[in-house]
Amino acid sequence: MRGKTLLWVGSVLSVLGALPAVAADHDVSVTIYANDLALVQDHRSINVTGGRQRIEFQNVSGKIRPETVSLAADGLTIVEQNFDFDLLTPAKLMEKAVGQEVTIVRVTPGTGAETREKALVLATNGGVVLKIGERIEVLRDDGLPVRVIFDKVPDNLRARPTLSVTVNSAHGGTRPATLSYLTPGLGWRADYVALFSEADSKIDVQGWVTLTNSSGTTYDDAKTLLVAGSPSNLSGNNSWAVRRPRPTLAEAGTESGTRERLGDFYLYPIAERTTIANLQTKQVSFLDVHGVPAEHGYEYRNVWLGTSETPQSAKSVYRFSTSAKAGLGDQLPAGILRFYMRDKRGDPQFIGENQIDHTPMGSIISLSTGDAFDVKVQPTVLKRTSLGDFAWRTEMRYSLTNALPKSVQVAVLQGGLWGDTTISAESQKSTRRSADVAEWLVTVPANGKIDLTATFMTRY
Amino acid sequence: MRRSLALMLGFVPLGAAAADVAVQREGALAVTIYRAPSRSSEGIDLDDLGGFALVSETRTVSIPEGESRIRFEGVADGIESASAIITGLPGDVLEKNRDARLLSPGALVAATLGRSVMLVRTNRKTGKQTRLPAKILSDAEGGVMFETSEGIEALRCSGLAETFSFITNTDLAATPTLSALVRSPTATTVKVTLSYLAHGFDWTANYVATLSPDSKSMDLGAWVTLANGNGVTFPSAQTQVVAGRINHESGDVQPLDMGEPILATCWPMGTTSDPVEEPVIPRASPFGDSDSNATAFQEVLVTAQRRSYEAVMPIAMSAAQLVQEEQLGDLKLYRVPEHTTLTSRQIKQVRLLDRRDVPVELFYGADLEANQSVESTAAERTLRTKNDAAHHLGLPLPSGRVATFATRKDSTLLLDEVPLRDVAVDEDVEIGVGSSADVQVSAVRETTKVSPRRAVDPPLLRGVLRFSSAVVDDVSRVEIHNASRSAIRFELRLRLDEGTQLIGAEPTPMSRDGRPLFKVVVPGQGSAVIRYRTEHTSVKAIHIPL
Repeated sequence: MRGKTLLWVGSVLSVLGALPAVAADHDVSVTIYANDLALVQDHRSINVTGGRQRIEFQNVSGKIRPETVSLAADGLTIVEQNFDFDLLTPAKLMEKAVGQEVTIVRVTPGTGAETREKALVLATNGGVVLKIGERIEVLRDDGLPVRVIFDKVPDNLRARPTLSVTVNSAHGGTRPATLSYLTPGLGWRADYVALFSEADSKIDVQGWVTLTNSSGTTYDDAKTLLVAGSPSNLSGNNSWAVRRPRPTLAEAGTESGTRERLGDFYLYPIAERTTIANLQTKQVSFLDVHGVPAEHGYEYRNVWLGTSETPQSAKSVYRFSTSAKAGLGDQLPAGILRFYMRDKRGDPQFIGENQIDHTPMGSIISLSTGDAFDVKVQPTVLKRTSLGDFAWRTEMRYSLTNALPKSVQVAVLQGGLWGDTTISAESQKSTRRSADVAEWLVTVPANGKIDLTATFMTRY
Repeated sequence: MRRSLALMLGFVPLGAAAADVAVQREGALAVTIYRAPSRSSEGIDLDDLGGFALVSETRTVSIPEGESRIRFEGVADGIESASAIITGLPGDVLEKNRDARLLSPGALVAATLGRSVMLVRTNRKTGKQTRLPAKILSDAEGGVMFETSEGIEALRCSGLAETFSFITNTDLAATPTLSALVRSPTATTVKVTLSYLAHGFDWTANYVATLSPDSKSMDLGAWVTLANGNGVTFPSAQTQVVAGRINHESGDVQPLDMGEPILATCWPMGTTSDPVEEPVIPRASPFGDSDSNATAFQEVLVTAQRRSYEAVMPIAMSAAQLVQEEQLGDLKLYRVPEHTTLTSRQIKQVRLLDRRDVPVELFYGADLEANQSVESTAAERTLRTKNDAAHHLGLPLPSGRVATFATRKDSTLLLDEVPLRDVAVDEDVEIGVGSSADVQVSAVRETTKVSPRRAVDPPLLRGVLRFSSAVVDDVSRVEIHNASRSAIRFELRLRLDEGTQLIGAEPTPMSRDGRPLFKVVVPGQGSAVIRYRTEHTSVKAIHIPL
């Protein structure tokens, strides 16, 4: 028995040797963009014979976009590239065996005695019909065990979708080759952790890049480069996604950092080679700053004629800078920023999160983490009077309450001031953020209440 | 023989080169639960928990010198791995990983693709096994093809009892695993703190108000109902809940490969006695293929839900330990006083507050559109109080549900169950307690007078469009009939259309939230009448034919 096994292993090894050249020493570099797109460059050394031949590449991304594949090697001319999706399954193999001979082995239940016969496969529609000698039989019609043994697998049936390139080679020999392609399924974004200290109004920020791989393939020991920026992608993956502006960037910055750039994209190389396993989420640190000043405030935005019978919570807003001076001192790739704060026992607790877009250095970021429990605003349309035919006077009241033991400042924003709407009377001076939005900065005393009133004149 | 084969092929385990250190959970554990941002007031469904939690735990790790991969086992299933923070590790943390490729029969075959396995055939009668080296060629679409020295065959298509015996080690884990790759200058033992956000948690407040017989005061008690829908137990955890709505980007999609069974799909297996139909190959379901499993699963859910309903029953309570409230930024944090064990798939309740003799004002009310005629309808009953010390309250009330009960001799009676929003200190609290058939409200428009029409030419569309306007004057009457023996307080709120002015009313209304509010006292077995007059300008557009 042992002798037979060894013999057989030897034959398998020789079969492997006859397979198209896929050398073991390969070197992968992966460049990942922020919008679910990656460029994979696979450097392998391949052994070719002279003349026309087919080279197969295994372990390429399962979501490879075959039209983007390019192979570069010395002295090779590419005849054609194929991406074969025909998978090796029992049904497919039986279908391809129609008109060909297979070996069937009948096994007698109980004794285990085997009878071997050659059979011609006639059809596989619904069941398998065989011709054995002059007899025609249906495979396993009687339910008794019958093994079917195939001699070989047709060339184009594979366990996984496989990329193959037919090339013409001027001369034989081993040479380095580079296979590069684009693939979806690899993506990254940033994750930030900000610990806010209420006592001195400062934040500590840590930034991690989070890399996800759902491409179906593991990239071993890959040189990895992350690109902050989203190149346009016409493959249809993202074309439906409308870029939704987020009101988190209060002021765009004008500073340049020391990070490497490629065109207008920032590059984040990962220092060490890393294995990106299939279905893995990987995080690598890229930012760690302590003691950045941050402001905490409140904001309430009211729609035109917005009126409410119950007080509405104001938004809790944190503002900080990404400037080199008194700021994070870096440009921030898009991602999620999570805020934490220490409770009375000193344990960090989560207090909300928000998404930020690619943000240049020197910007001011204003992020809402959620609703304030104790700071509320109740907007009320007190009176709306028609002044003649196309003009109206609207009296508004905003009741601000503060159940905190300290005074707070709330930015009350009234939107929807279309046309030449004017404010004829107001209990405190407003500023116009834009023609459509009026803003009041209202200070509400500790455990106190204050009413803000304004009268708007509109025409249409 | 197995060993010789492995040696011959130069087989190495698929694991990473770095030393692997598994870390069991031990030491301090803290769980802070946050409410589902979108859930308003409905109860908690253990199978669909929209909230999340911050889990912090301390573990002791022995780290060897050089590179090692530290695996954290027993983290919550719902972990949002991107939020994980690991502190206390020595040296450099090269990277943090979460692997979602799990060990399953299908994953084992996929990992062994192209490699050697042992094919085991068993004689069903004698139980005799034969083993044969084989190589897996394909596992595509559920069918498994393998090659032996005899040729190429398909797994389990012959009717023989056959399976693989795998000789490959895989580094696949049973549950998604969080790991950190660290490089330590020396071998050392350290305390590591791991904190992460995880979904599959939620909490709500359940208030029970018991109204006194004279309806002048109530006792208010409340439970914090918190739920863990994860399959992981948190033993002896310091537990907190946080009130207030916070932003949470829940669209964090993480790949997860739950694994597949080995299906061994074959070629068409029709026989001459089969009806002419496409054969359907049964697929095993991940929960097992018998229906009884699914039923048992559902029964578990029902039990869990029933428990949450019991929460609102007004059981006479012995003094319970209350949760401790503290300010956390703009949120409220409630701490469970003692460490508690939060088991997998559990709903737990802790006492939030117990207040006695809270003075309340019971009033009847109606909210009507101005000048609308309404047939007799029952008035709504509402309890009003203020969240301050004078009313024996004065503490933040997190949102949830209020069930109000009335006492009747020895028994209690459920009046109503309504949602409650987040109420800060010093805010008014109104709790609906159903409607009363004894107090009926009806409204009727008595008269409508329209002044002569007046034509107006708009500045832009002169000669094309003409408007005709008229002033409309309405008088309406609202009647309230009280069939109960005692006098009641009644409040009527009117909704006026845009541009409609109230120009007279009896009695004189006050204004609240920009709307007229009439307050009247209706005597026992008596009636009250409110009469008001409004005016508005009606505008009609008339096209002028060219």
